Amino acid sequence: MSDITTLNGGSCIAFKGKNCVAIACDLRLGNQALTVACNRDKVFKITDKTYLGMTGLASDVDTLRSAFRYRLNMYRMKEEREIEPETFAHLVSSTLYEKRFGPYFIEPIIAGLNSNNEPFIAAADLIGCLNFAKDFVVTGTASDKLFGMAEGLWEPDLGPEELFESISQALLGALERDALSGWGAIVRVITPDKVIERTLQSRQD
Amino acid sequence: MECSFGITGKGYTIIASDSNAARSIVKMKTDEDKQKVLSDHLVMTYSGESGDTLQFSEYIERNLRLYGIRNHVELRPRAAASWIRAQIADSLRTRNAYQVNLLLGGFDLPTSEPALYWVDYLGTLATVPFAAHGYGAFFALSTLDRYHRPDMSLEEGLDLLRRCINELKTRFIVDLGTFKVRVVDREGVREVKL
Amino acid sequence: MSRRYDSRTTTFSPEGRLFQVEYAMEAISHAGTTVGILAKDGVVLAAEKKVTSKLLEQDQSSEKIFNLSDNIIAGVAGITADANSLVNYARNQAQKYLLAYDDDMPVEQLAQRLCDLKQGYTQYGGLRPFGVSILYAGFDDHHHFQLYHSDPSGNYSGWKATCIGNNNGTATSLLKQDYKDDIGIQEAMGLAAKVLSKTMDATSLDSEKLEFATITLDPRTKKPVGRVFKPNDIDRLLEKHGLAKPKDPEAAAAAATSAPAQGEAMAVDS
Repeated sequence: MSDITTLNGGSCIAFKGKNCVAIACDLRLGNQALTVACNRDKVFKITDKTYLGMTGLASDVDTLRSAFRYRLNMYRMKEEREIEPETFAHLVSSTLYEKRFGPYFIEPIIAGLNSNNEPFIAAADLIGCLNFAKDFVVTGTASDKLFGMAEGLWEPDLGPEELFESISQALLGALERDALSGWGAIVRVITPDKVIERTLQSRQD
Repeated sequence: MECSFGITGKGYTIIASDSNAARSIVKMKTDEDKQKVLSDHLVMTYSGESGDTLQFSEYIERNLRLYGIRNHVELRPRAAASWIRAQIADSLRTRNAYQVNLLLGGFDLPTSEPALYWVDYLGTLATVPFAAHGYGAFFALSTLDRYHRPDMSLEEGLDLLRRCINELKTRFIVDLGTFKVRVVDREGVREVKL
Repeated sequence: MSRRYDSRTTTFSPEGRLFQVEYAMEAISHAGTTVGILAKDGVVLAAEKKVTSKLLEQDQSSEKIFNLSDNIIAGVAGITADANSLVNYARNQAQKYLLAYDDDMPVEQLAQRLCDLKQGYTQYGGLRPFGVSILYAGFDDHHHFQLYHSDPSGNYSGWKATCIGNNNGTATSLLKQDYKDDIGIQEAMGLAAKVLSKTMDATSLDSEKLEFATITLDPRTKKPVGRVFKPNDIDRLLEKHGLAKPKDPEAAAAAATSAPAQGEAMAVDS
C-alpha cells in the first residue's frame, strides 16, 4: 500500500482501430484509500493527432507533462512541423531513461495517427523501455484487470464508433474491480479529421 | 494531528487551519498562525514536519514577494501554485526533502474566479472545489461532498466549515481547539472569526 | 580621436559614449525595415526582406519574423546570424517561464530578459554587442496586446507603432500621421503594408520582398494565436490594399484557378 507507484491510483488504456486509435483514462486522484479529487485527466494532447497518457505518481505526471511541453514547443518552433507519434515515443523513452537510476514513477502510453494517418500505439515502463503493440496497451493500478478486459473485447479493424464502445466497456469493466481507479472516465477517439472526446459517468463509489 | 480546510464558493475562497503547536504529545501553544498571506489575493496554509514548514513557507513567501517587486504584477493563483508545486517536487529528489503539505486559496482577478489548490509533500497538485489536509480529511471530506455547492454564499460557506469542525469535535478523539480562518475574495484577504 | 575608444565595447569615450554600441545600432539602420503596429484587437509585424535573388532557394521558413512562444511573435532587424541566436535564447526563456509557472510569459518580461543579455555585452570585455534590434508583439492577461522594441544597448520601450531598420525615420513619421488610437487589426495590416511600400526602394511590393505576421485572439478559445503569413496570403493582402505589382496575364489566370485554402482566406479577409 505504501508503494509509490500505486499511491495516487489511476489507470489508462489505448486501443488501435482501423484508421483510428482510442485512448482512455479514469479521473481519480487519491492518497492511498482517500480520494482527493475526481477531475484528474491523465491523458494530454501532444499534437492534434497524438495523445499521451501517464499513470503512477501524480507529482511525476505533472513534472513530465511540463517537461514534454517544453521540448515539444521547441521542436515545433525549430522544425516548423508537428512531431510524429513514433518520434514522440522515442522522446518519451529517452526522457525516462535519463533518470535510469532514480526514475520518475510513471508508466506512459502513447496513441496517435502519424502523418499518413496510420494508427500508432505504444507503452513504456518507468525507465522508458518501449513496447510497440499491434492491438492495445494498458497501464495503471487497474492494468491487470484492463489486460483481461482488452483481451476479451479488442477486435482488429474496428471503426471509430465501435472502437469507442469497446474501449469504454474495457475501461469501465476494469474500474469496477479496482478500488484505486474510477470516479468517471474520459475516452478520446482520434480519427484523421477529428478527435471524438466523451466523458463517461461510471460508478461514483 | 494538524488539520486544515479549504472551501470555495461564489466569488470567495475560505482557508482554515487549527492553531496548535505541538511537540510529541505535548501542546506547546494554542494560538499559532499556520497560514501565510502570499499576496493581495493568495493565502497558504502549511502543515507537516515542524522545521520544514517554517523554512519552506518563508522561502515561498519571500520569493513571491520578490516576483511582485520585480515585475509590478503579482503571480496569478494558478501560476503561484504551479511554481510552489515545482519547488516541492524538486526538493523531493534531494537527500532532505521538505515534508510540507499545503492548501492554497486565492482569487484570480483576470477571470474573477476563486481558486483552491491542494498540494502535498510529494508535489502533487490538485485543483479542487474543497479540500482538507490531516486527519480532518477523513472526517470532513464526506460532509463536504454532501453539502458543498459551487454557488454558496459566504455565510453558507462558513456554515459548512462550522459543520466540518463540529464533526471533528464529535467524532475525532483529539480536540483541535480553535481554527484560524481567512477569506479571499475580490477585495483581498481578511481574517474571519467563526 | 574616436579610434582610441573604438576597440573595446566597455570603454567610454571622453564624451561619455560607447562607440561599439553605436556602431551596432548603425548596422541595424542599414538592415531591412521592420514595422510593428499595435491595434485594439491584435498586433501586426511586417518586414522587408533585403536578400532576394532568382537563384536563391525559396525558403519556406521566414528569416525576419519568428514565433517566440504561443503568445509572442518577434520581428528582427540587423545581423541575421545574431538574430537567430537571440531568437533561440528567447524561445528557451519563454519555455522556461512556462515550465516554472504553467502560464504564458508576460511580453514585457521576455523583452526584459533579452535586454539583460544584450546589456551584458556592453559591459563585459572582449565581446561585441548583438547587432540586432527586436520588435516583440504579444498578448498576456495582465496588459493584453503589447508591442515592445529593444536595441543593442539593452534598452527597451513599449510602443503603439514603431519601426526599426532602414529608413525608420520616414516610416515613423508616416506612422505618426496615420496611426489612430482605436485602429483595428485589418486597418493596421493595411497601414503596415503602406508604410513599407513608401520606405522600400521597389516601386511595387510582392511576397518575395515582404514578411508579414499577426498576433490576435482566437474568437472561440480566446487564446492568442501568432500567425506568420504564407506567400500567397501576403500577395492577397497587398492586392486588397492596392499595393501589389500589376500581374502578367498568365500569373493572374493561375491565381484565379487555384483557390486559397479556406482557413487562410478567412484570416486575411475577415
